[in-house]
Amino acid sequence: MKRFGNISLILPLVLFLCGVVIDLNLLGGLFDNAPLRYLREGLITLALILSLPIIYSQRWASDRNIVRGLRSLFALILGTFLLLLFSDLEPFAAESISTGHNVLYGSMVTYLILTAWTLFSTLFVLVILGTLRNLIFIKQKKNTALHFLLLMLVLVFYAILSVFTIGDLTVRFSYKLSGENIGYILLFLVINLMVLNSFRVGWLNFLNRRQKLTLFWGGLVLVPVEWLLYMKYHTSNPAALFSPVLGRFVDLGFLFLSIYITMAFIALISRLPTATLLDRQYKQLSSLHSLSRAISSEFDLTRLAETTVDLALQVTESDSSWLTLISAKGEDRLAAARNLSPDELATGVPQPIAAWGLAQLQPKLINQVGKSTLNVPLSVWKRDVQSVIAVPLKSAEEAVGCLYVAKHIEYGFEQDDLDMLRAFSEQVVIAIRNARLVESSLVRERLEEELRIAHNAQMKLLPKKMPQLPGLEIEAVCITANEVGGDYYDFFPIDANRLGLVIGDVSGKGASAAFIMAELKGIMEALAPKNDSPKSLLLAANETLYRNIDRNIFVSLIYGIIDARDRLFRFCRAGQCPILLATCEAAEVQVLRPSGMGLGLDGGSAFAGAIEEIQRPIRPGDTYLFYTDGAEEARNPRGEEFTEIRLVALFQRHHQKGPHEIIDRLVAEINAFAGSARSHDDLTFLVVKAV
Amino acid sequence: MENFKVVRQDGVDLTTLKIIGFLDAHTAPMLEEAIQKLIDDQKVNILVDFKELNYISSAGLGVFMGFIEEVRSRNGDIKMCSMSPKIYRVFDLLGFPTIYQIFDKQDEAAAMFLKDSAAASDE
Repeated sequence: MKRFGNISLILPLVLFLCGVVIDLNLLGGLFDNAPLRYLREGLITLALILSLPIIYSQRWASDRNIVRGLRSLFALILGTFLLLLFSDLEPFAAESISTGHNVLYGSMVTYLILTAWTLFSTLFVLVILGTLRNLIFIKQKKNTALHFLLLMLVLVFYAILSVFTIGDLTVRFSYKLSGENIGYILLFLVINLMVLNSFRVGWLNFLNRRQKLTLFWGGLVLVPVEWLLYMKYHTSNPAALFSPVLGRFVDLGFLFLSIYITMAFIALISRLPTATLLDRQYKQLSSLHSLSRAISSEFDLTRLAETTVDLALQVTESDSSWLTLISAKGEDRLAAARNLSPDELATGVPQPIAAWGLAQLQPKLINQVGKSTLNVPLSVWKRDVQSVIAVPLKSAEEAVGCLYVAKHIEYGFEQDDLDMLRAFSEQVVIAIRNARLVESSLVRERLEEELRIAHNAQMKLLPKKMPQLPGLEIEAVCITANEVGGDYYDFFPIDANRLGLVIGDVSGKGASAAFIMAELKGIMEALAPKNDSPKSLLLAANETLYRNIDRNIFVSLIYGIIDARDRLFRFCRAGQCPILLATCEAAEVQVLRPSGMGLGLDGGSAFAGAIEEIQRPIRPGDTYLFYTDGAEEARNPRGEEFTEIRLVALFQRHHQKGPHEIIDRLVAEINAFAGSARSHDDLTFLVVKAV
Repeated sequence: MENFKVVRQDGVDLTTLKIIGFLDAHTAPMLEEAIQKLIDDQKVNILVDFKELNYISSAGLGVFMGFIEEVRSRNGDIKMCSMSPKIYRVFDLLGFPTIYQIFDKQDEAAAMFLKDSAAASDE
């Protein structure tokens, strides 16, 4: 569909019609009224000039859809040619010759046909010039606009000059510079400008190989057709009969079109041999771009590997491709593959091939597998490979993996493919590195989240408030280290007067320790009300625990029962640190270390034999300090441990204070000792003081 | 990360593992690997020499607990020797001496292995 943009053709058409009106009057009777004829010509010329903007707003081939524009052009030219072929304009030419430059229209029908032809061919040329302008302006350079403008100016000027051929008007400036001579000079100039502008065929580069071939066959038809059209029109030129200005304008338009498409055709032929190469290069570039896009946001290693083998296969037009990745442990495994059979996938890449692929961390190409060292291993694993490329993926001189592509034919690959894949591999390595970073940071996040959950769970297991027993003050604290430790303390009211207490720690750290601690709490809660004797509780607890936890996990704890009414304290030490006891009678702190064994180490008899139960009366002033190994093992920046000795000395100094204050002092001293060193174990204290 | 090393010394009747440095949750896998290898090699008379061990955590203790049953079921044993007082205290508090034979000197341990095997062949 022809589109004239926003240019209003109304004014030109009006002017044109005025010209027609004059014609009709002339037909009526005023043949030789020269001024009127000049006026008519002037109006028509003005109409032409006002229509010129169409050239600058034509839409064919302007939106980079060159093929569509060319197709329209082709259709238009062919259509016009056929139209011209089958319409009979010879009689008009004959008539014009016989009457000289004064046109006698003969009949109304003739006049109408001529008018129609003129209108049509003028519009035709305007559309053509617009289309050619668009083509010329693709890949515009500095002088493109200037050259085209010059062409248009000279062309229109030259066309307008033919006004002077109306009547017998000939301009003679001098002998040498006659009107005719000026005409020749201008013609020469205009043809040169046409040729100059016809070099602008850069749009050919935007066609792919298939399109170029189509254009070639089309051109073989179109170029001769256009020249025939031009020559036919040139000789019969109906437009010239109507108006010399339009006639010359149309004639020049046809000439320019012929010259342009001929030059374009020649340029096309010269580009055909390299069309395939250009196509490949373009495809490679766009594949590289696709890969960059696809992998820059892909953090899943599997999908990344699959995208890589897909694109590698496509861009090299291979029959199969596969990618190996080297894990953190150094194992080389097949990460993704295209067109590998299930057997080949199951076997994985054989060692000789992998060794060849990674050798010297350089890309390699073998075009005749049969004659190479790879022949045997490759034929055993994958029989149909005749050409293969391997590109190691390397990061900082270390192999991260290897990318392979293979074809069934010999000499299937060129240096081009190797270079292409090398560029690929650099992108892929970056993406792999990113994917692994993201993965490890995700892992780290998951771990931290796990530790947070475990820590919260651990805190929930500890008692919310200290128990109240007559004549006793009890205080406890658990200060967790950065990593989740396994320390635990708890209280179990057995009845109104008796209270069970436990302090202990689970071996190991992290979420698993928290789980076992929860299990332990459950066991203790269940057993405490049923056991008067700490030893019997521990025997039962050990049996359950031994059955339920891994062999390499164990629990060390102290369990005691305070009888507030009878003022008795019974306790056992199942592998936990010794108990410190300060009394009013003794000047020195005692270190109580009943025999014992950790829970979960032994299934029965050894444990029973090892556990010793101690029973002591509770006297006023008796102060018991229970602690876990975090206190002994607290380290200072020099690596020294706090040790039991310092702890005993500290307790010795402060045991007369209230439990809360004792604990505060202990914690403060240990923190001061540790200084800037990071604590790596929980710090737990439990103090029972008889008042 | 602290340093840890396991040095294996194959003997006639037993294999000695010298453990050196810090044995904690990070380095415990190294010891695990070493003991597993001994079991795989059918070397079930294992003597662990603690002379140059500076520290052991519950994870380190757990490694021995994890293997002792299997080693003993194959008529072997894990015996220990040359512990520093500090290290020995850790084992002692937990009651390990009831489960493991812990010696002051290597040769005492070696002698015990011989005695064990003699006893076994008597049965």
